[in-house]
Amino acid sequence: MAREHLLKIGVSGVRGVVGDFLTPGLALSFAQAFGTYVGRGRVVLGRDSRTSGPMLQHAVASGLLSTGCEVIDVGVLPTPTLQLYVAHTGAQGGISLTASHNPPEYNALKLFNKEGQFFNHYERSELIDLYHQGRFDEAMNHEIRHVRKEGDAALNIHTSKVLAHVDVELIRSKKFRVALDSVNGAGSVMSPGFLTSDLGCDLHAISIDPAKIFPRVAEPRPDTLDDLSELVTRTASAIGFAQDPDGDRLAVVDEHGNVLDNDDVLALVTKHVLPRFPGDVVVNLTTSSVMDDLAAAEGRKVWRTPVGEANVVEMMLAVKCAIGGEGSNGGIIFPAVHYCRDSYTGMAFLLEMMAQTGKTVSQLVDELPRYFRKLGKVTFGHGRLGNLMQALEENFPDATTDRSDGLKLSWADAWIHVRASNTEPLLRLAAEAKSLNRMEDLYGQVTRLLS
Amino acid sequence: MTTGQTLRISQVGLRGVVGRGLSASHIMDFASAFGTFMEPGRPILLGRDPRASGRMIREGVVSALMACGHQVVDLGVASSPVIQHAIGRLDGAGGISISASHNASDWNALRFFGPSGVYLSSSEASELLDIYHLKKFRYHDWDKLGSLREDDTQLDAYLDDLARAYPLDRLRRFKVVVDCCNGTSSLILRRMNERFGCDFILINEKIGGAAFAHEPNTSCATVSLQLAPLVKPLGADAGFLFDADSDRVAFATEAGVPVSEEMVLPLLADYLLPKSTGKLVITNLSSSALLEEIASRHNSKVLRVPVGRQAAIDALSSYRPDQIALAGEGTGAVMMPQFRFVYDGIASMLAILSVLDERRQSLSRIMASYPPYSILKGELPITSSRIPALLMDLRHRYSDGAIDATDGLRVAWPDKWFHVRVSQTEPIIRVIAEQRGDPPAELFESLMDQVRSLR
Repeated sequence: MAREHLLKIGVSGVRGVVGDFLTPGLALSFAQAFGTYVGRGRVVLGRDSRTSGPMLQHAVASGLLSTGCEVIDVGVLPTPTLQLYVAHTGAQGGISLTASHNPPEYNALKLFNKEGQFFNHYERSELIDLYHQGRFDEAMNHEIRHVRKEGDAALNIHTSKVLAHVDVELIRSKKFRVALDSVNGAGSVMSPGFLTSDLGCDLHAISIDPAKIFPRVAEPRPDTLDDLSELVTRTASAIGFAQDPDGDRLAVVDEHGNVLDNDDVLALVTKHVLPRFPGDVVVNLTTSSVMDDLAAAEGRKVWRTPVGEANVVEMMLAVKCAIGGEGSNGGIIFPAVHYCRDSYTGMAFLLEMMAQTGKTVSQLVDELPRYFRKLGKVTFGHGRLGNLMQALEENFPDATTDRSDGLKLSWADAWIHVRASNTEPLLRLAAEAKSLNRMEDLYGQVTRLLS
Repeated sequence: MTTGQTLRISQVGLRGVVGRGLSASHIMDFASAFGTFMEPGRPILLGRDPRASGRMIREGVVSALMACGHQVVDLGVASSPVIQHAIGRLDGAGGISISASHNASDWNALRFFGPSGVYLSSSEASELLDIYHLKKFRYHDWDKLGSLREDDTQLDAYLDDLARAYPLDRLRRFKVVVDCCNGTSSLILRRMNERFGCDFILINEKIGGAAFAHEPNTSCATVSLQLAPLVKPLGADAGFLFDADSDRVAFATEAGVPVSEEMVLPLLADYLLPKSTGKLVITNLSSSALLEEIASRHNSKVLRVPVGRQAAIDALSSYRPDQIALAGEGTGAVMMPQFRFVYDGIASMLAILSVLDERRQSLSRIMASYPPYSILKGELPITSSRIPALLMDLRHRYSDGAIDATDGLRVAWPDKWFHVRVSQTEPIIRVIAEQRGDPPAELFESLMDQVRSLR
């Protein structure tokens, strides 16, 4: 029987199914560990629109107050907005209550340092050790501070940071007709105003009520965005944007109602950004080779990291880079705004690209170097992983191998990447090649070897 | 005094010094136990006294109750009586008051109420304690979680109740100085001044919560600190002092003389018994024998139960409400049927002002009309293993009196009595001796010596 990971406590924080697994007591203890780790000061606390958000928010607030922190309650707010606000307000850190793209029964604590960024790997280990030791800083009565409600300012700060890097007047002059699906998530509080008041779009939006539950699968993927595709077609919109519940991921629908491959979304933004901003490109191992072609055209280097936003950001902070991200999951990280995945930066750049080139989304995608990609997953038993990886490596002796996150085998015209999921007992497979046949052949060989 | 061991978990709830024994996780677990104990459906009311730690505790309690599927109605900073009345008014399933009442500012506590704002019975409280210890809480799934609503209208509704029970149009002519001890009484009395034109002059009325001007203890000694010296210079008719959640009261006369906290209950008994002849007065074994003298004047009886709120509540629930005239302790905590049998300092103050109104006499003269009783109180640390032997020894030595051994040992003679009992909150033994007339110095010293000799 497959083991369901209903609760996961690890270096990336705590995530689980609310109820018997992710309890208020657990959220409290994690907040106590966090407050002890960052020290007494301001901590920004926000959440996405999940039903469990308010309950967990009170538990986290209790834990933070108990360690002598002041709680800045920003309510329902996109995660990137919260991250920016942490850095802006001189807080000691921030906590966003969101299970990102996971289903509504999940929730999680995303933890940020005083720059509003993920803690690095070493800091995350220290924090989890503190949690396990269970000896937290305890403020006495006279040291206990307040919960303060702030939040509107955060929206303005995020918006102006993004708009500082695009030609707002040019975008506004186009009066683009835009379709939006915010999955009733945290993006609902910001996206409509951002697209209409700030960018002058003619907006047709669905699922922008954060008081309601998610109307679709939370992860914005080609197979979950039928409603948005239909909306784009029906309203003859130039582009459609889809967000995940905490507004960090972006998926895009072209003017024909086709959902773009997420790698292509990152590639479009990268192509738009590189000529104007100096620096390299940082992506994870599973991101398309399109990035290498685009970087090479501008004489830039591509740095590859293990999968995970925190890994990408950690590398981005270590090298001088213009842009980064994770192709397959819709994460665009533009450091001049902030070191975080940000759907708003993505939206603004894509609209600017359309305005400057006068081209449609499908035309822009057609101009990208063509690669064929396939993603999949297979279940596996614990203990078999080593043998599987070994068999793969022996089967492809001519490939270059990278074992920094599972196994990536690369050739001049193709690569395959096999890695164990951090969150489920699954192996994730990805294959990419310049020709469809080559890709299908590699993907087929891998699945046969793994099954 | 903050000692090493400050956490106290008992049937009365959870109590301790925040950050030095009482932690956020104790709160989370205890509130989760209450959330599991109560059936979801009707709302659960919540309020707190102004202590800063109440903000931290409030967040944990809200989270736990929501996780258990409850609709939470938060009254914010509100006295225990205000919360208790609101539970009845809003048809709540129960409530929680976050308050360490008369303890120092660094303490806090959770106190639990059932439907209509009644205190939990011993059997309910012990079930709650079992759930707490078992730590198997009934947390609901993501789509069945509870909600939170803030309600700031309940203070006015409570004042409406008060205005129905007491003739505020007559009582408002009294000029009264009040030491709020930086507690919830400040909010209530300020509002009474606004709404009813009362003449309450408030001191220590700030409710920041980081510290109190002094311990919010309703004792004669606390009254003498700041309140008593102000009464006469201000030309007030009386001075009153409340604990942080306003369920207890102490007072001083118009002459600025602090009155023993023991006098609140007898004074109110003397006021209420003529209106409820033959009814019972419930009190504990440690309060003044003046009560028996007053009760016999009105052909009523006094039922004495072990010390502690729980014993009084259990006794109360074994009678019909119409059999009881009032119940209370020598600490200034009194509950009256006129006001729903809730320990309520504000209602007690209004009843005392009603005495002034009816008798048309000064508080000094009224107090002088009672025979003098003198009480001596002391406490000593003791090793718990020695206690049974000590009590048995005392019982033999004083076998000529009427003996009650339900809570330590109380021995009574026609004109005096003593009570030796072990504190529920600290490892100490308390010695109390009272005599009609002069202080029972000889008896008291002899008792103290005997306790000391057994340490």
